[in-house]
Amino acid sequence: MATTLDHDLHQEGVADFNRGPGLHAPRAHLITRWRRILTRARPRPGHAIDALIYLAFFLLIGLPLLVVLIQAVLPNLFDLNAADASFSLVPLARVFASSRLAVSVLNSLQLAATVAVTATILGGAFAIALMRCNLPGRAVIATVPWLVFLTPSYLKGLAWVLLMSPGGYLAQLGVLPEGLDHAFFALPGLVFVHTLSLFPLASFIIGGALAGLGNEFEEAARLSGARPLRVWLRITLPLLAPALALSAIATFAEVLSDFGLASTIARLSNFGVLTYGIYAAASSYPVDFPMAGSQSLILLSLVVMVVLADRLLRRQAAMRLISGRAKPVRSYVLKTWRWPLAAAMLLIALFALALPLVAIAFRAVSRSLDAGLAWNNLTAINLVSAVTWDSEINGALLRSLIYAAVTALITCGFALLLSIRLDRAAKVMRPVVLGLSLGAVAIPGIVLGFGYILVWNRLPVFRDWPFPHYGAASLLVLGYVAAAFPYCLVIIVNAVGQLAPNLGDAARLFGVGASRRLIRITLPLVWLSIVTAFLMTFIRTVFELPMSQMLIPLAGPPAPPVILKFFSHDQDGPAAALSLAAMIAAGGVAALIWLAARRLGVRLGATRPHQAIPSGQNTASDLMQTGGA
Amino acid sequence: MRTAILSRQMDNALATAGATTAPISQALACSGLTKTLGGRRVLQDLDLAVAPAEIVSLIGASGSGKTTLLRLIAGLEMPDSGSIMLDGQTVWSRDRQVPPERRRIGMVFQDYALWPHMTVDGNLAFGLQSQNLAAADIKRRVDHALEVTRLVALRERHPSALSGGQQQRVAIARCLAARPALMLFDEPLSNLDAALREDMRVEMMELVRQEGITVLYVTHDQAEAMAVSDRIAVMRAGVIAQFDTPQRIYDTPADTFVASFIGGFSLLPGEATGGYFTVDKYSGSPLRAPAATSGGGTLVLRPEDARPAERHPANRLSGIVASRAFQGRCWRLVVTIGQHRVRIDWAEDVAPGSVVEFSLPPERCTVLPG
Repeated sequence: MATTLDHDLHQEGVADFNRGPGLHAPRAHLITRWRRILTRARPRPGHAIDALIYLAFFLLIGLPLLVVLIQAVLPNLFDLNAADASFSLVPLARVFASSRLAVSVLNSLQLAATVAVTATILGGAFAIALMRCNLPGRAVIATVPWLVFLTPSYLKGLAWVLLMSPGGYLAQLGVLPEGLDHAFFALPGLVFVHTLSLFPLASFIIGGALAGLGNEFEEAARLSGARPLRVWLRITLPLLAPALALSAIATFAEVLSDFGLASTIARLSNFGVLTYGIYAAASSYPVDFPMAGSQSLILLSLVVMVVLADRLLRRQAAMRLISGRAKPVRSYVLKTWRWPLAAAMLLIALFALALPLVAIAFRAVSRSLDAGLAWNNLTAINLVSAVTWDSEINGALLRSLIYAAVTALITCGFALLLSIRLDRAAKVMRPVVLGLSLGAVAIPGIVLGFGYILVWNRLPVFRDWPFPHYGAASLLVLGYVAAAFPYCLVIIVNAVGQLAPNLGDAARLFGVGASRRLIRITLPLVWLSIVTAFLMTFIRTVFELPMSQMLIPLAGPPAPPVILKFFSHDQDGPAAALSLAAMIAAGGVAALIWLAARRLGVRLGATRPHQAIPSGQNTASDLMQTGGA
Repeated sequence: MRTAILSRQMDNALATAGATTAPISQALACSGLTKTLGGRRVLQDLDLAVAPAEIVSLIGASGSGKTTLLRLIAGLEMPDSGSIMLDGQTVWSRDRQVPPERRRIGMVFQDYALWPHMTVDGNLAFGLQSQNLAAADIKRRVDHALEVTRLVALRERHPSALSGGQQQRVAIARCLAARPALMLFDEPLSNLDAALREDMRVEMMELVRQEGITVLYVTHDQAEAMAVSDRIAVMRAGVIAQFDTPQRIYDTPADTFVASFIGGFSLLPGEATGGYFTVDKYSGSPLRAPAATSGGGTLVLRPEDARPAERHPANRLSGIVASRAFQGRCWRLVVTIGQHRVRIDWAEDVAPGSVVEFSLPPERCTVLPG
């Protein structure tokens, strides 16, 4: 580029540049034009950083997806014996020709559509009750969706298998009606567990919309003579319609992308779904790349359609709501009805959280499932194994904790630097990067994991790359970073975006340098958001399943694949013990980090999120509305 | 006539709601209203009576209770004690609570609360449909409201496609269409820019006067209250400090709080004796204030009352100009008199640091006790 410019300038007469007065008009115009071109063409440090950011995105997410898509239509590209780049749709046709695979596509769609409705209804009702009613113990009930959201789906699946199996805990307690166990290990059971697992997502989205509505629309309607029921039907529900639709779309995408229940309840029920089909093809021997690729393509196409629908609705929602800011909301004063309502919500908490956790905890300290709830069935063997140095369980647990900590550190550091860059970035950079990130949230983890296998195991340059390397822990951590990065970025971008730009400008005018501004101005103001992002990334990564399953390092697997391995080999006890130990360890480490970070935050002069972020912003809601994989 | 019709409609509505009836003397009567929010007493034993077709403004500092009072009257909040009567009928007392939808009150919210999923037409018709009116009646009323607010051309638009001023007109039209007995305005002009605010204020008040509607108007802008109201209630910490016409509040504020809130006035503490007022720590001669009662007091100095020194030679004050600002028709001088600072309007520019001498007409020397 520079060479071409030099040549052009020579042709146009560089010598004319400094002649000053006396230049004739066309020549002066020419000089002005070239000055503009030169200014634009001069490389700036910002351009190099932007290029690095795009490159990082491409390597983390773009390239793996691209290779998956290419592989789907060039099925023999990575053939172990006779690789060739011929175009073929045969594997795709095979998916639809095979009744088993076609049924798995239909199963995925049927399950996702049903759960989209049930989870939206349950989550919506939960959000309305929580935000609009004077519930007793509201603060406690409000934590339930967050705890459910943070509990991985395969643990819930494992727990419900323990509860609902013939001879499981509910049968032993005599509260399982005849025949219900058979119904459970089919579509109804999956719908039930998915609904309990995903109602928090719907609750966050609809709760965010309710907070944005405030009371005034309803008050205006009541003063216009409308009774409460009519106000709800004609004012509140229509205004909530975009949020309800978004909730349905997000839960639909979540179920399509879910791998946790697919590899527990769905596998046991012989209920084939796309995500498990991809895993089965990619983990078979020899690896069936064409089949994994074509199923990935179908899943990705479905998810892309869902994301497009989501974008479309979001645009309409933005047009419809005059203000997106959270407004003060007054609760409906329920008299005696508030107690039954609170009891109903606690019942949801019981099924979604307490019962599964108790089942896992009890199975972790019992010898066998069949011997049931008896004192002589209690044992500490499984838990002792989890904390015994050098045991398989303990090794997996420690590896998961270490990988998660490293992942959270890298992800948050990168997200913070990128957020600051984006806050000052040009018009194009910000929407592109945020669009890529939010789009990446919807990518099923299993597809991304398959992409990582193709890139780092099959692509020539990457295959021989020393760090990260296929089969090494470094590649797994890279995969974790890719999976966690969009969530982390959304939280930190929101926090940084709330800071008035003139805070940094004011410091700059006092002569404060960039690094000092970052440490003394930006960091304290977004500190708690960074800590939140760190802890969320840490906890999610400890329990991350698809990447862990697809990219198991040779040095040893992290906790999630070991849990599933024990579980699928009828070793519920060790599986439950490792799950319990992982939850206690992740929770304990997170609590310690939180306490330490708060102390450090006080030293830094950190503000609480509500002091730094205007009340209109709903980070959680924004995060949840991205959907998730 | 119009008020009588509204009163009859109100009677029917409230009778349906089972409200108790009393002879109609006021459009609104609040008695002994008390309200506590978050452990703080927001309203304290407050009484307020508004005559039919009267426009009353509630002004006061933030937290003085004006919006809470409005919400209690609307039925959007419940008082702790007291009673509220609309057109002679109790809508809230310890024994009787009429819900907001039965009170026939219109309210223009601060950010208008137009339903964004309905067109302008839909916004106006919604309340009428709730009253189970015939379609033809609804159309007639909507058309009339749109005509008087000059919104006919915009009737098919959604609120998001309207400007701030148009949205405000829709909010007013929505209330007018419902023909309420009482209209409540909650700082309706605060979202508009200064130029539009003036136009909208005039237009809005012309409309409600033309329709003969009783209005309770909340604002924190005393100039706005002066411009729109028949009477003003100045609120302080949950009680009404003064309730009177704008002119009387301006000329004879009840106490130093009202005088300071009305704005622009300077307050000079001192001592009144035998019709003369001596400003504290000021060495000049006492001012003649015939209406002042003897004892400690505060002189209210309105900027526009300052006259050239020779106009009232016996009532002169002098001080040093601290700063000045051009106001268009005059200069606003800030003058240091002894240890006090006062604001006066002056015909000529005076450089800061110069001595200025001015006089006050004795009849304008209002001295407040305490």
